[in-house]
This record gives sequence, C-alpha cells and structure tokens, in this order.
Amino acid sequence: MFNIHRKAAALLGGLLLSIALVGCSGSGDQSADAGSASNASTSAKSITMSWPRDIGTMNPHTYNPSQLFAQSMLYEPLVSYGKDGKLEPALAESWDISEDGKTYTFKLRQNVKFSDGTDFNAVIVKKNFDAVLKHRDTHSWLGMVGLIDQTEVVDDMTFRMTLTEPYYPVLQDLSVVRPFRFLGEAGFPDNGDTSEGVKEAVGTGPWTLAEYKQDEYAVFKRNPNYWGTAPAIDEVTVKIIPDAETRVAAFEKGDLDLIYGEGVISLDAFKQLQENEKYVSKLSDPVGTRNLLLNSSNPKLADVRVRTALHQGFNKKAMVEGVTLGLEEPADTILSKNYPYTNVDLKAVEYDAARSQALLDEAGWVLPAGAAVREKDGQKLEFELIFDKTDPIQKAMAETIQAEWSGLGVKVNLTGLELTVQIKRLKANDFDLYFWYNYGAPYDPHSFVNVVASPGFGISETLSAIPMKSELDDMVHEVLSSTDEAKRQELYGSILEILQEQSAIVPISYIKKTAVYQPKITDFVFPANRDENPFTGLTTETP
Amino acid sequence: MIRYIGKRMMAIIPIVFIATLVTFALIHISPVDPAEAYLTAAHIYPTPELLEQKRHEFGLDRPLFEQYLNTLQRMARFDFGTSYLTNQPVWNEVKARLPATVELAAWSMLFSALVSIPLGVLAAVYRNSWIDLLSRAISYFGASIPQFWLGYLLIFFFSVRLDLLPVEGRGDWQNLILPTVTLSLVLIAVYTRMLRTSVLEQLQESYVQYARTRGIRERSIMLKHVLKIAIAPLITGMGMNMGKLLTGTIIVEQVFSWPGFGRYFVEAIFNRDIPVIQCYIFFAACLFIVCNLIVDLIQTAMDPRILAKGRAEH
Repeated sequence: MFNIHRKAAALLGGLLLSIALVGCSGSGDQSADAGSASNASTSAKSITMSWPRDIGTMNPHTYNPSQLFAQSMLYEPLVSYGKDGKLEPALAESWDISEDGKTYTFKLRQNVKFSDGTDFNAVIVKKNFDAVLKHRDTHSWLGMVGLIDQTEVVDDMTFRMTLTEPYYPVLQDLSVVRPFRFLGEAGFPDNGDTSEGVKEAVGTGPWTLAEYKQDEYAVFKRNPNYWGTAPAIDEVTVKIIPDAETRVAAFEKGDLDLIYGEGVISLDAFKQLQENEKYVSKLSDPVGTRNLLLNSSNPKLADVRVRTALHQGFNKKAMVEGVTLGLEEPADTILSKNYPYTNVDLKAVEYDAARSQALLDEAGWVLPAGAAVREKDGQKLEFELIFDKTDPIQKAMAETIQAEWSGLGVKVNLTGLELTVQIKRLKANDFDLYFWYNYGAPYDPHSFVNVVASPGFGISETLSAIPMKSELDDMVHEVLSSTDEAKRQELYGSILEILQEQSAIVPISYIKKTAVYQPKITDFVFPANRDENPFTGLTTETP
Repeated sequence: MIRYIGKRMMAIIPIVFIATLVTFALIHISPVDPAEAYLTAAHIYPTPELLEQKRHEFGLDRPLFEQYLNTLQRMARFDFGTSYLTNQPVWNEVKARLPATVELAAWSMLFSALVSIPLGVLAAVYRNSWIDLLSRAISYFGASIPQFWLGYLLIFFFSVRLDLLPVEGRGDWQNLILPTVTLSLVLIAVYTRMLRTSVLEQLQESYVQYARTRGIRERSIMLKHVLKIAIAPLITGMGMNMGKLLTGTIIVEQVFSWPGFGRYFVEAIFNRDIPVIQCYIFFAACLFIVCNLIVDLIQTAMDPRILAKGRAEH
C-alpha cells in the first residue's frame, strides 16, 4: 500500500518538475539575448525605450499589428513631413507637378542603397506602388489611392504618377508611414504580393532590425548603407512592456532610457517623473485636438444659439488643466496652427456662463419654476454624452461637462462604451454628444475637411443642420482639387471660420506626445509626423 | 484502467462542443463587429466598402450556421485557422507563447506546494503557536490582496528600491522570482489552510491513537500516515488550479511583461480575433478535463477504494 502512495507522490512531483522543465526549455538561449538587451542602457551610444505592444511584422505595406514607429525606422517615403507641415525631399530629390495638377514626376535621389546593398531606383519604386495598388480597397482610406490612374518608370531615376483628377494633398499622403514606403527587392515574396508577408525587412531607412523576440524586445542597429546623416546613436533596443506602471518602474530602475508616445504612462506618473529632478521630461507641439461634437442633426442642437451656449457654458481652461494636469493645452480652434494652411486668425469662444443662460432663454429653452432642467414645447433640454469607458481623461471631462451644464439647466446623461461600439454609433449618426479627435500630422487639414463633406464618418452628419452646409461641402471639394496655393489658403480660412462660428465641433484640448528620459540623452526632438520614430534628432552623451 | 482513461477522454468531445457553441453565440451576440474591431485596431477608418471586404475575407458574411459548422470541421482536424490580426496560423502563435505560460504556471505550482505543505502541517501540529499565526497572517494577506497590486508592490521594493531583481521580462531564473511569488501567494493562502484543517481532522482519527499506543514516533505518524491521507484535498485543489494557472496568468503576465499566452488572449478579445478566442476555449476545455483526470488518477492510486467503488457501481 505504501508503495502505491510513494508512486503517486513521485508521479505528482515528476509531473510538476517535467512541466517546469518543458517550460524552461528554450529559455537558455534567451537569457543571453535578454542580457544583451538589458545591458544596452549602460553603453552610452545605445538607448533602450519601451513600447506597449510588439513591433509586429516589418512590412511597409500592411497595418496592424505592425507599429508605425518601427516601420518608419526601416522604411522611408518619397517626401517627408517636416516641422509645421513643410514637405521636404526624402527619397525623391525633387518633384514636378503638371499645370492641371494630375501628373507628378519625381526625380529620385542618387546613390541610395537598401540595407542589403542593392540600388534604389524607379523600377523598385514602381514595384512597391504596384504591390500597394493591388489592394486598393485596403488603402482606400488614403485619399490619393482611389485617384491613381497609372504609375510609370520614365528612366532609371525618374518615376511618374498620373491621377484621374487633381488632388493637391498627394505629397502629404506620400509622407505617411504606410503604405507608400519602399521595400527592397529581396523582401518581396515570389508573387510580388506583399499583403501576404515579406521575406526580409530590407529598407533604405537609417535603421535595420538586428534582433527580435516576439512580445519581448527588438534591437535596431544603424544601417551602414544609409544615404543621409547617420543617427547619433548606434543602437536602439525596444522593450515590450504592456503595463504603464511597470514601464515607470523599469524607467526608475534605470532599465529604460526613454518613455515616449501618446498615453503611454498615466497622468499621475508623468507628473511624478516630471517633478523628479533626476529625469528630463518634454511635451510635444499639439499632435491632435480633442473635440466635442454637438450633433446638429438632433433638433435640439440644430439651433446655433443652443450650440454656442453649450460651447461657452463650461470653463474649458480649468477643466483641461485640472483633468490632464497640464499635459494637454486648452484648445481655441478645431485644428492647431501647426498644420499647413491652418495658421489663420479665428475668434476664440470664451467661457461666459451668464451669456450662455441668456442665449438658451433667447432660443426658447426656459427653466420652469422649481425645475432643474430647461424645457421648450414640453421637451426637456437633455442629451446623452457617450465616451470611451477605458479612457480616464474622457470620463473625467464628461463628468465635468455634465456638472457645469447642469448649472445652465441642461441635463447630460453619460454612457461609457467600448471604443468599437462608440465608433459604430458615430458612423450610424446615433449620438448627441461625442468626443472626437482629428487625425493629426501628416493627415490634416485635408483629411479633416474631407470628413466634413463626406457622409459616413459622423462629422458631416454632425454638421448636417447648419445653414451653410452645402456651401461648406462645395468649398471642401474645391480646396482638395485646387491647384492654386493662394486660393487654397483662402478656402481653408473660410471653412475653418464657418466651423468656428457654428460651434458644432467644440475644440477642447490639444493632445501632446510625452517623452521622459534619463539625462544621458542630451537632445530629444519630437518628430513632426505623428507616426514617425523619435530617434533622428536624438543625441546622447559621448562615453 | 485504460478503459477508464479512454472513457474520461471521450468526455472532451461533448464539452468542447458545448464550449464552442457558447463562445460562438457570445461572440455573435456582442455588438462589436470583428471586421470593425480589426480596422479600428489598425487605425483605419472603417468605411462601408472596407468593412464589407474584411467581412468577406473573415468569412463573416456567410450564414451563421455555416460559419459554426466550418469552425467545428476545422477544429476536428486540429486546424484553428488564421488570426485576423496577424494573418498567421493561430496554432503557431499559441505554440510560440505557450512555453512561457507553462513555465510560470509550473514554477508557481511547485513553489506553492513547497511552501504550503510544510507550513500547513506545522500550523496544524503546533496549533496556536507563532507558526500557526504566521500561516494565518499569510493566508489572510494572500487571499485578500489583488494580484496586480501585489505585483506592483514586489516590483517597487525588490526591483526599484533594493535593485535586487529585474522589473519585467523573461530571461533567466531571476526574472521568474517575482511573477512566481505573485502567482503563488494566493495558492499558498488556500493550500496552507486546507492542509491545516485536513491534518487536524486526521489527527482526531482512531488510527493515529493506535499508532501512538504502538509507540510509533510522532514524526513517522505524521509523514507516513496522516500526511498521505490529509494531502488528498490539496491534490484536488492543485489539479483544478493547474488548469486555471495555465489559462489564467493574464494579470501577472501583463504586470511583469511576461510574453505568455494570457496576454495574447486578452488582446485577441479586444480585437475580436475569433479564431484565437475559439482556439483558447478549445485548449482551456481540454486542459481542464486532462487536469481533472490526472487528479483523479493520482487520487485513485493513493486510495484504491475510489476505483473499487466506481466498479461496484457499474
């Protein structure tokens, strides 16, 4: 009998041990890798950054799960997006746009090589364009994709693209991180269809992917064949740390040199690190605007007086500073001034609760004696505000707005939703009040005005009851196809002015990227393109 | 015996069938469209044309019954399909992440057994002594503290303040310590109390009195007789928890950046990556059945009366 017991005990122990050993197998080689990854931060010419998700496949022509910053380290555009929206030559040295705005001829940069040593030329540019255009539907969100008529190799270093109709933002569309970036010949699968995957991550960019362990880390080394100014650092290690608090702990321990991105650490943690003199922290220029949509297709919100009253009826400055602890900046205009064509003077709507009350009275929404909510024709002035329940900033702002407007006699019901459900309701025009963000650089202002005029994105619907909607739509169509720079500026000015006066899109705050780093990083410059990597302007102390 | 095992394994079929049906129904009841979730995650605005194209690609435009039938057919061949998100075969993705989770689960199980068995026995033998109080304190603490918070506390003290252990990641044995302790504490809390109660019960039994009157040493009574019977509920508990650990180290994987299966699954839920969710459910159902079977086999080996009783009933 004891024998059986002993066997059973041995069986259990053996089972556990063998499972433990199976689990450990293969971890031997990892320890060496992980060692090299964590040592990276001690050598002065390399830096270690964290990222919440695995970098994904290094395919320049596909989306999720590939991370934009990592794709931008390996692959480059023809034209790059510089500070304040200035478009600068990248893989194209210069370009020529025909009078009718339909033909773009690019002179490609000489002596550019891919990381495997092969030449960059018009043939490979066309091959990449062909691979992308094979899946037009997938990329149709990008305005120019639907308009490309043909692409051709003019000579070894000249590439030409013809559009079916003029569309001025072509150069801006070309500067986005995906899909129009260039993979070397060796990366293409045999059938040329990159949507199925790439063989090798070969690009012209300043970095190459040297080591990669899924869900754990990626090590980028300098591309020895890079044509441009070589980065000031030799190596970048990206550690995958999904949890924001853990990221901060790893940074405080010294395992990380840099935490960078949007919403990568909590507001409290940022504040705490910012106040610590051991570290350096920086905020970028605005990369996007947090807006509140007041859906004019709801009859109660169709009256501009009601919208203006709501716009003026909450202390935006106090709310933004209180909720975001200074990480975001109160916004007076829907688009910040650092995009092309948006540096126009618009009259800010100032906080004035007394004026709001008067406007609501004037619009016929009066407060019955003893009641808390205004009424008109037996209807209560009541709205639903939907927000992303996982976003603490949206939640806090929604609660603040609810409290402030209740002082005006406006009732707001809050509904927290999962992001996907929220977007679904936006598209279905099934909302009263909604937090909405513009796309940011390099997508705006043209992507923004495009949704102003195109139904199906929630914005055109929000604006549907404003009196000059059709005039606005015409202006949008005109600005996107205009070939005259001055005319374009004028049109953008008018569009933004109308939107500002109508208060259907209420700007709340400008969102900024954050960077917190160890003092060994001596200079850090935020990229102008929201999706690009931040390593180009980064320098460290020399050892 | 083999017939018994075979019969138990056959139970996998109806259970997996029910599990997949429930999952399938729940996924389709959810208001989130997987095609939409995919595009949102990719930062692509879901235009109607794109949605239609993605739905077609994922086979979501077919009748529900056909979709379910296809899923079952695939699963019967152990083909779990392709992840919507990564476009890779689901099984490859799971296989790559499973060793990390298994490693963590097994070490946690081992560690909790190594701590709770001596602690539980000592707490029973020296009832109301300091060691009993200690075990009680550990149990209260372990049972009530949220796992993610414990993880943060351990990271804060042992990694950031004392600089003794790495904060996160998977590598050598040092990386294992904090996540193992975090996962084990709640198990230790339960096992210690369970074993203490069980040992105390056995100590009341007459065979212990007989052994004592026969002059057998206390230590022998404890190790050779009492513990062997008292440990039975612990083995059941461990078997149940093994399945739970292998499928549910999600929070700990998140806090310690452990590149395991749980983290992958959570992301799949948010992205409505149906093939991954289905594979997980299939895997979890099988795992629970196998773990239960192993527990039963061990119990039977330790106490043959269980099998004899089973036979008598048939």
